[in-house]
Amino acid sequence: MNQYVNKKFSNQYKATIGADFLTKEVQVDDRTVTMQIWDTAGQERFQSLGVAFYRGADCCVLVFDVTAPNTFKSLDSWRDEFLIQASPREPENFPFVLLGNKVDLEPRAISTKKAQQWCQTKNNIPYFETSAKEALNVEQAFKSIARNALSQQAQAVDLYNEFPDQIKLTNTAKSNNSGDSCAC
Amino acid sequence: MEQNEEKVEEIFVQEGVLLLSGPASHIEYMKLTGTLYITRYEKHENEYSTIFIEWKPNENLTIDSDIQDQEWAVVNTVEKRTRTLSGSLIPEEANRSKYLRVNFDTIKSFKVANSGRKILFNDGRGDVICTFSFQNGNSTCFIASLRQHIKTAPSRRDKNLYIVVGEIGNNDKQIETSFKTLSLFPDDHNYMWSFVKNFQHRPYETTMEAFAKVTNIGNYFWNYYFLEYLIVYNERPLDDETKEVLNKSIIAIESATTTHTQDDYEVVANVPKLPDRKDCPRSKPLTKEQWLDLQNCEGKIEDVDGIKLLIFRGGVTPSLRKSVWKYLLNYYSWESTQKERDQVTKDKKEEYYRMKTQWMTMTKMQEDNFSDYRERKSLIEKDVNRTDRAYDFYAGDNNPHLQLLNDILMTYVMYNFDLGYVQGMSDLLSPILYLLQDEVDAFWCFVGFMEKVLSNFDIDQAGMKEQLQHLHTLLAFTEPELSTYLDNHDSGNMFFCFRWLLVWFKRELNQEDVMKLWEVLWTGLPCQNFHLLICLAILETEKRALMDNNYGFTEILKHINELSLKLNVNFLLNKAEGIYRQIEEATHANDNVRDIVGLPKLENGNMDSPNTASFTYLESSADHASVNIDTNEVSYERGISNSYL
Repeated sequence: MNQYVNKKFSNQYKATIGADFLTKEVQVDDRTVTMQIWDTAGQERFQSLGVAFYRGADCCVLVFDVTAPNTFKSLDSWRDEFLIQASPREPENFPFVLLGNKVDLEPRAISTKKAQQWCQTKNNIPYFETSAKEALNVEQAFKSIARNALSQQAQAVDLYNEFPDQIKLTNTAKSNNSGDSCAC
Repeated sequence: MEQNEEKVEEIFVQEGVLLLSGPASHIEYMKLTGTLYITRYEKHENEYSTIFIEWKPNENLTIDSDIQDQEWAVVNTVEKRTRTLSGSLIPEEANRSKYLRVNFDTIKSFKVANSGRKILFNDGRGDVICTFSFQNGNSTCFIASLRQHIKTAPSRRDKNLYIVVGEIGNNDKQIETSFKTLSLFPDDHNYMWSFVKNFQHRPYETTMEAFAKVTNIGNYFWNYYFLEYLIVYNERPLDDETKEVLNKSIIAIESATTTHTQDDYEVVANVPKLPDRKDCPRSKPLTKEQWLDLQNCEGKIEDVDGIKLLIFRGGVTPSLRKSVWKYLLNYYSWESTQKERDQVTKDKKEEYYRMKTQWMTMTKMQEDNFSDYRERKSLIEKDVNRTDRAYDFYAGDNNPHLQLLNDILMTYVMYNFDLGYVQGMSDLLSPILYLLQDEVDAFWCFVGFMEKVLSNFDIDQAGMKEQLQHLHTLLAFTEPELSTYLDNHDSGNMFFCFRWLLVWFKRELNQEDVMKLWEVLWTGLPCQNFHLLICLAILETEKRALMDNNYGFTEILKHINELSLKLNVNFLLNKAEGIYRQIEEATHANDNVRDIVGLPKLENGNMDSPNTASFTYLESSADHASVNIDTNEVSYERGISNSYL
């Protein structure tokens, strides 16, 4: 998130307490939209407070650590939790994007194929492999996220009927148990 | 001290009256029989009323059962008493000091119980000033006499309860005081009288004009008495139409008050004003000299409350913090001697290293088979790496202080494995370790801090949710306008204050200021949950920015998050203490509000008040009218009882 918005990466950014968000203007085709990228605390016990932040999101970005299998395993529960708390009108069609982060690190625990298979079972969620540290694929991933959110609006699905010209992203960027949500 | 001779008129005297309860200064006379007086002083520079009730214990302290049938007499005698300017009685005889004296200005209501054999005087803030029991007969004559001099209104709720409205014959002053309180006409004290004059000619318009002004303020209570005053005390005859207008106004106030309805919620805007804010200036920090002075030769703190008060008022001199924090964080007990502390230090050191060894000696295999432990360890590793790295003390690669942070947090996992490690804890430890620079001391002080904030880290977040709720309750009381604004902008859950509360403003302040704030909060003074009042102080400061910019949910959160490192600790402490004093003195603070800051519940056991009733979510707009009236009647009654019982 910091890499994308501020072009900076650090693993020393303080852990998010409560919630925060960054904004970025993005050009999608011929439209300029303001994207709000939300970041909430990573530890599970804080998720019960997420309801206030999830509601109104136009897209949910799930992030796992390709070197940590447990973060991949918990993707299902993060997705379910988001859908429960955000309660969008059509949960099946709600736009998610999956990011496999830390591809700069070795050894790799989750293969690209395995991640893509998971995405297929979830109504073909777009998948990107990124490195926030090396700024690899980050721009492309967010562009796709923005497009996804907007396409939903173009179809007049109107997820929550508010902020017609804003894209609200909720970044449930969780390497499970790590609270490592700011490193995307 | 200069003494003033002044005349006192004993309006009423009754013997055989038992003091059941009273101020602490008269505790030795409780349950003793004495004489009850109603007196009027001619000089009364400090009080609004000239009428007092006084009680003097009998010289002979046994109850005389032979005086059962004694007649009571209303006595009008004038005698001299010596009185100081400050209002306390200087005894001209030894027993005069025994007088319990209460000015009627401090009495807001009284209640008659036990078929008139008992009478309780209330201060309107929920406290009983004193209670008397009539050993011979009952209080009928006393009350009859009182009502010749004090204007009372029977309560609509309780026929045995009398609300004190003011002194008879002193009405001009009374109504003026009421209007001063209202600040309606700050520059024109004669407004009232021009009102009355106009009233004769244009009664309807004049009433409505004034009513509108008063109603805008929402202080229906004064409004009520103002109009009642016009009817009862206007010496000029009123025609029937005028009386009807006034009576209608009173009924309107009683049943409707002022409401403001918007969409699906309704705000009952009849919140009485808070008392004036007092300035609570900060003092100098606790000095080494003061600290040593307050210890005896064995190194025991002699005056714990005094020390805490000094710390609350001014914090601790930085060089002294290392010692004082160990007491504030319950590492050392305040009552301990130097010898005992040496023993504690030794024992705690052993205990710490025993726990540290437990995780240090964990084998790879143990770890692989212990996922709960691995999970905690990995969380700590990640968070230590990103805790206060901008500060020199924790900056740079391979900083040994990071290792200390890690080891203390890991040992805490062994100390309280069920809680383990929760994000935010490293923020709480960081300043403690920075100050103490000793692993064992820092660990035990951290344990002490965690004891105070344990519920912040509940697995279900119940503690945090409760605090956010409490914060909302307090805000609705002190800043109803802002609290309503937040409710209408998806922020009534107060989540934007989450960070403040979880780590006690650690993220909002620099290292030095965090230490300054924490040591003040650790004293537990001036009330419990004082940290919530710090929140109120910030919110009050930011109120205009939030509301004038018409910020919504996201902007509010952003604005609050961006206050980080822009806050002034002394300013906030001053303000927060001022807010506490206001709550303490407010006559309309309900039990919910009082309970949060640890004030005793009101005697009448009212659980709700206009404040908790302020937000009435309605199912459908069709219900508005009926619910309105119910809510308002309830609010009105509660307002009265909270103010006067």
